[in-house]
Amino acid sequence: MLNIFSNLTRKIANEVVDKAIERIARDQYTENLFEMVPIAKKVGPINLMEIVMRSAKGVPPGRPLGSHIRFSPWEKLLFNPVHLDRFPTPEDVSISTSVTIGKNAKKPLTLSIPLMIAGMSFGGALSKSAKISLAKAASMIGTATNTGEAGLMREEREAAHVLIGQYNRGGWLNTPEKYKQLDAIEIQLGQGAQGSTPQRTAAKNIGEDYREVYGLREGEDSQIRSRLPGVDTKEQFIALVQELKADTGVPVGLKIAATHHLEKELQIAVEAGVDFITVDGAEGGTHASPPTLEDDLGLPTLFAVSRASKFLARQGLKGEISLIATGGLVTPGDCLKAMALGADAVYLGTAVMMALVGDQMTKTLPFEPPTSLVVYNAKITDALDIDRGAKNVFNLLNAMTKEMEQVCYSLGRTSLTDVSQADMCTLDPFLSIASGIELGYVSPDDQQAFFNQFHLTQHANKMNMPAHEPPSTTRQQEEQHLN
Amino acid sequence: MEQNKRDLNQTYQYFQSELNRIQTIAGTLSTIEDQHVKDLTNMGDDKLNQMAVEEQSAARQLGEIKQICLAMSQKLDEIQKTSSLH
Repeated sequence: MLNIFSNLTRKIANEVVDKAIERIARDQYTENLFEMVPIAKKVGPINLMEIVMRSAKGVPPGRPLGSHIRFSPWEKLLFNPVHLDRFPTPEDVSISTSVTIGKNAKKPLTLSIPLMIAGMSFGGALSKSAKISLAKAASMIGTATNTGEAGLMREEREAAHVLIGQYNRGGWLNTPEKYKQLDAIEIQLGQGAQGSTPQRTAAKNIGEDYREVYGLREGEDSQIRSRLPGVDTKEQFIALVQELKADTGVPVGLKIAATHHLEKELQIAVEAGVDFITVDGAEGGTHASPPTLEDDLGLPTLFAVSRASKFLARQGLKGEISLIATGGLVTPGDCLKAMALGADAVYLGTAVMMALVGDQMTKTLPFEPPTSLVVYNAKITDALDIDRGAKNVFNLLNAMTKEMEQVCYSLGRTSLTDVSQADMCTLDPFLSIASGIELGYVSPDDQQAFFNQFHLTQHANKMNMPAHEPPSTTRQQEEQHLN
Repeated sequence: MEQNKRDLNQTYQYFQSELNRIQTIAGTLSTIEDQHVKDLTNMGDDKLNQMAVEEQSAARQLGEIKQICLAMSQKLDEIQKTSSLH
């Protein structure tokens, strides 16, 4: 019986494919389905579908989970294992994974692992059960989870041993009775996928539980402003940081979308006395943001971390102010590289979301996307198994930390926080010059000579000259020499 | 006044020695947990592997306790030095 069915299926498939190939081969382009292939190649399949979505609704499509473009060239950084010059870490030595955020705060925040769960808001992004699941996972592994731009949700506070709350532009967590319940406060001025652009959730999409957590009236929209309410000057920001620090004693930090003005922004944060700085690179995720904000705005995470770390070092504040990296970091290698560049800890968003739905995504596929299990107001959020999701996230964070530990053995380091940029080389000369990481093509002793020659080559290319000529040689001098 | 200062100093010393003790216990337990992880993983059983993962996390959390104790001990040291200056 099964054989008959199988043969029949094969025969139908064969007929269909034959007919399709015949039509593709014979039809003119204007009548041919194959037309989609060159168009998709020209504009890209994502852009193609987003053009169609814009044309259907007349409003920007809200793309989930951030930009699809991987701006940060993490793959061009490689770790340097050691054998004899320095020895690898013995296998019976444990690698220390714990990290302290805001060591100069009255109540510093110490975590078991340097991987934290990024700010993803209840209501604005996730369902209540998803937030509880993430909080449970964070508590199981001994790390922090973040409220995102939301109010204080009682269930999340109870499930999270360590809760970092965002003092946000919506103003929903900004009263002492709420922020005093947090273990660290992150003043949210922007994010990688949206910069400081305002956002609004219409009242029709806001349920009773959302209104309760945010303190909204019935029929009221929730509005994230471009500026923090009451902070229109640098002095007001400094006063706010001082007030929050004095009021709570917990680490108070600043989260911004990484920009090319980074150092100027950080200078003000330093003057304000922040305990930590979170830089969200251009690859940062979000629940839904217009593609232009996601793809065309911000500084990539790798450069943001590298520049912020150098800035803190120049100010003599490395280790005094914690640096948290976030935005498009998805593998343990990415995370350890960010730490080697100077980050003390890393926030994970997209990777954690994928782990949360993990083996439960079979409940949605093939007709709905996996995120419909976890997004607020999505179709099947009720089907999410909270404890199973928490276990999946716990397993992901454990495995990622384990992989980071394994690299440490090979680098001869005993702590994740000891890994530095000296433990890496790069395959990109420009990245090497910008970041100070040695170039893998040549030995450390020859780096300077290589770059001298490299500059000559660049100059010669510009002047259309042979590479061995000194940079000051002009075409006229060259001609005289030839004569 | 002098008696109060002596009492406070003794209290600081007590806190510090106890923190050092907690730190040592956490370190020892962390090492034991690490050994359990290896033993459990060697069994090659899915359930035992999951237990090993939880043990590994426990070992890291003990490492966190160690770091907290160290930081608190340093802070107490600073307070003690400052108070002895006055």
